[in-house]
Amino acid sequence: MTDFILQAMLLMLLLFAIGILIRLLIGPTASDRLVALNVLSAVTLALLILWGVRTKQTLYLDVALVYDIFGFLGFLAITRFLKDRKGDL
Amino acid sequence: MNTRRTWAIIRFALTSLFLFVIWILFTSSLGAFSLLFGFFGSILIGALTYQIFLPEHEANFRFFIPHFGALLRFLALMVYSLYHASFQVIKAIITGNTNPRIVHFRTHLRSDLARAVLANAITFTPGTMTLDLNDDHLTVHWLLCTTTHAKAAGEAIKVKLEHALGRTWL
Amino acid sequence: MIIREVIALIIFLIGSVFGIFGIIGLFRFKDPYSRLHAGSLCGTTTVFSYLIALLMLSPSFSSSARIVVLIVFFLISAPTGSSIVAKFIWESEDAQKQRSSMAKEEKHL
Repeated sequence: MTDFILQAMLLMLLLFAIGILIRLLIGPTASDRLVALNVLSAVTLALLILWGVRTKQTLYLDVALVYDIFGFLGFLAITRFLKDRKGDL
Repeated sequence: MNTRRTWAIIRFALTSLFLFVIWILFTSSLGAFSLLFGFFGSILIGALTYQIFLPEHEANFRFFIPHFGALLRFLALMVYSLYHASFQVIKAIITGNTNPRIVHFRTHLRSDLARAVLANAITFTPGTMTLDLNDDHLTVHWLLCTTTHAKAAGEAIKVKLEHALGRTWL
Repeated sequence: MIIREVIALIIFLIGSVFGIFGIIGLFRFKDPYSRLHAGSLCGTTTVFSYLIALLMLSPSFSSSARIVVLIVFFLISAPTGSSIVAKFIWESEDAQKQRSSMAKEEKHL
């Protein structure tokens, strides 16, 4: 039962990731791509934690924690970078 | 001068204590070497960063130490409103009728921490998203706008949250 | 044990429904703000539900303690990230275009 739930969760998360990646690739403006990237980072976090629970190793959970903390610092950097060159948004 | 120095020492002690608790939580080991290392590390980092962590003008304990019961109630409200808000957005996705508008309003909360938490909590209420927080002035994008009057709109968004937050942090 | 699994399954199904509609909204809405609303809010709800379900299924105490810390950090970081993106849209140019179209609509009404 537990294995089945974890397998189904992995499948659903991969499905979400594929849908968000399509949005990320076809998004007409930089804003749409950034929105997709924001959702994708949350899905990646869930995937990391899922893998940590599935393989029963807490190392993945530590990695997920650091990923969560530094994730939005990356966003801050990306938005600052894109704001500087407003010409070709 | 003397009160300023006492206040600085209290801020330094609180910062170090907070860092030490986080250290114990993350390492989850109670060995002597680990505890000693964490203690000196948190004192060093606390001495370097207490000016940023707790700014001097936040001159009240209630500004950053939450009331515990009120904090738990606020978290429960947040989880409930997260599901409620998602349900409303799903209804908007199915029917397709949205009414996006940008509203401005001010908040009565006094501490920086409570304002930041309010700005984050507004994102969880149905169809609203904080765009900017400037001192006490909030800019909010509202997807499912019901009233055209900007001030009434602001009241409709924030009153419940401000009431819950006011009991938690002041 | 079986009760924890049933709770996890129910929460997982609820989260999946929110996630599927969030993806549909990501493709159905036309402007970046509405896409951010659909994607970010439904995505946060989905991941939060999955984390609760994983907390129910976690094998040991140390991993459940870490997942609790992760849930708290996620509840802080998710709205902050979407707020950063929203501020970027607000300051970028295509949103200004959209604002002017909204003003035109208001005049039309």
